[in-house]
Amino acid sequence: MRGFLLIMKAEIVRAWIITRRYWFRTLTGLVIGYGMFMILIAGFFYSQPAIEKGLNQLDDPTRATNYILGFIIGLFAFGVIGMFTQGIQEMAQTGVLEQLCMSPYGLVTNFLARSVVASISTIFYSAILVYMVVISVGGRLHFDPVPVVTLLTLSFINLIGFGFMIGGLVLVFKQVGQLIIVVRMVLFGLALFAREELLNQGWIVSLLVHILPITDASICLKYVLVKGQMNASGEFVSVFLHPSFFWLVANCVVWTFIGITLFKVMENWSRKKGTLGTY
Amino acid sequence: MENLYKIPQEHTVYLRDVCKTFRTYHFFSIDEETGRRRFVKRKEACAADHITFGIRPGEIMGLLGPNGAGKTTTVKMISGLVLPDRGEVYVDGMNVVKHRKEILSRIGVVLEGTRTSMWPLTPLENLYYYGNLRNVRGKVLKERANQLLDFIGLSEKKDVEVRRLSRGQKQKLAICIALIADPKILLLDEPTTGLDVQSSRSIKDKILELTKEHNRSVLVTTHDMNVAQELCDRIGIINKGKLIACKPTAELLELFSKQIFEVRVDRTPDSSFFDLLPASIRLLEIEQSYEGPVLVLQFPESYEDRSESFYSFIEKCRSHNLQIRSITQKQVNLEYVFLQLTGEKPIQDLANQENGGNVANEGLMK
Repeated sequence: MRGFLLIMKAEIVRAWIITRRYWFRTLTGLVIGYGMFMILIAGFFYSQPAIEKGLNQLDDPTRATNYILGFIIGLFAFGVIGMFTQGIQEMAQTGVLEQLCMSPYGLVTNFLARSVVASISTIFYSAILVYMVVISVGGRLHFDPVPVVTLLTLSFINLIGFGFMIGGLVLVFKQVGQLIIVVRMVLFGLALFAREELLNQGWIVSLLVHILPITDASICLKYVLVKGQMNASGEFVSVFLHPSFFWLVANCVVWTFIGITLFKVMENWSRKKGTLGTY
Repeated sequence: MENLYKIPQEHTVYLRDVCKTFRTYHFFSIDEETGRRRFVKRKEACAADHITFGIRPGEIMGLLGPNGAGKTTTVKMISGLVLPDRGEVYVDGMNVVKHRKEILSRIGVVLEGTRTSMWPLTPLENLYYYGNLRNVRGKVLKERANQLLDFIGLSEKKDVEVRRLSRGQKQKLAICIALIADPKILLLDEPTTGLDVQSSRSIKDKILELTKEHNRSVLVTTHDMNVAQELCDRIGIINKGKLIACKPTAELLELFSKQIFEVRVDRTPDSSFFDLLPASIRLLEIEQSYEGPVLVLQFPESYEDRSESFYSFIEKCRSHNLQIRSITQKQVNLEYVFLQLTGEKPIQDLANQENGGNVANEGLMK
């Protein structure tokens, strides 16, 4: 734990230095992100088969907010998994990966600390973006700190487990990283389109929604932030009683276990194959 | 405490009978033998073939070898980044595979390059970052980081972003990063490659200082024979995964220099002269110079035979009216030894065929 905190401290300092040193890049990133979201949201609605219907839908702030949030969660998932895929590839190319391996705390602790810091900053910038875009489309978010922070933490753990699994593959087969962009896109889509209504589409769809990472997290976050924890009958039902929440917790445990175990196995294998620091 | 009794206690690093073969799979590649495309083809490359050597405290060991000989793999096996197929690697008496966590604090590695550091950060920030990763903290970290930058000559650049530094400065920083946890063992993979003379000189001086004054064990892999000759107490020559020589530098040079003589004469003798030479003398080559041709000859190793061969050679010169202008022992450098052993310039091999083989086969491991 001490090692984790020490690495996390080092990562926070590094991230802060880079953000401060390259402030113009940070700022333009936010502005471009805002513009991109507005175009994406508008484009999404305009590309509906019935353009007029779509135009009308744009006037539905709840639906727009639902998608905006989906985009943000999707991007978050895209980023976290990217840290394990592109991140490992880049680190292997620059030689940083081998230095991380020389840390007595091990690669898992290092990646965990790095991803926590990266995710905190992503969540911070995403929160700013969400509010800017939601205000622009006239929507409203129900920010309830306890469920939101809990759900974000669980979403992160959920993604980390999956990320470790993918990262393990990339450690051995570096070129797989290029293919995993497809997996990242799928995760993005899952976060975007996941909604409570999918759970009523038969047991196969329902099971898939529960097994796949990020879907339950996305459903829960949308339930809190967009619906304000109101069920179909308009009654307040805490998210902690929502079936997706229980699935999310189970999902976190299972994916984290599978991910970290596989990562350790693959790390060992990559050391046997000699592919740890090569690209 | 496994196997401790078998490890020579004077060594901080010890490799015993280490083997490593890399296997790669190539899909839909054309078979060189049949010329037909195959679904999958397995290729094997031997990077370490029964390698055994040790490094003592305060010693700089050089590992020389052509590209792909297995030098970097050896360094990576010592640092635990690559696992050997068989054999054991010990650092400070501990098996690298079984006690990886413990040995990591004892080893500093600079792996082929300047990009170990994070370029958006300054040298000082890099050292703080890597210090935390290696469990060096607080006041100790700050003091050590500044001391290292002073020592290596980067203190003036400590607040400049790494991306703005020269290649030599980046390499110096990589050495500082390797030293941040104050390791007993330093592994340097081609530390002077691509550097100008001054930077290379400066890094060599610092490595010497680190080893001799701080009693560290250093393993240097290099292509640069001058670096190896100037820097290393002992040289290991590795080729196709095999350690073909491992001796103190001076002894290795001596082994190859004592039998070869350059005889400057007034004219190039005809072939009958060479036909009449005793079998113990071998002509290696004839060099042309302004002051006349130079016969490069190899004489027998034992003093008695060599003396006898000399007298005989001088008699033959007299009988052919060949004027001897000078006789000098050929001063071989490490490059010559290296080329001999790796078969790049095997004149001695050819010369020794009748004498029962290469001198390199005898007494090259110590």
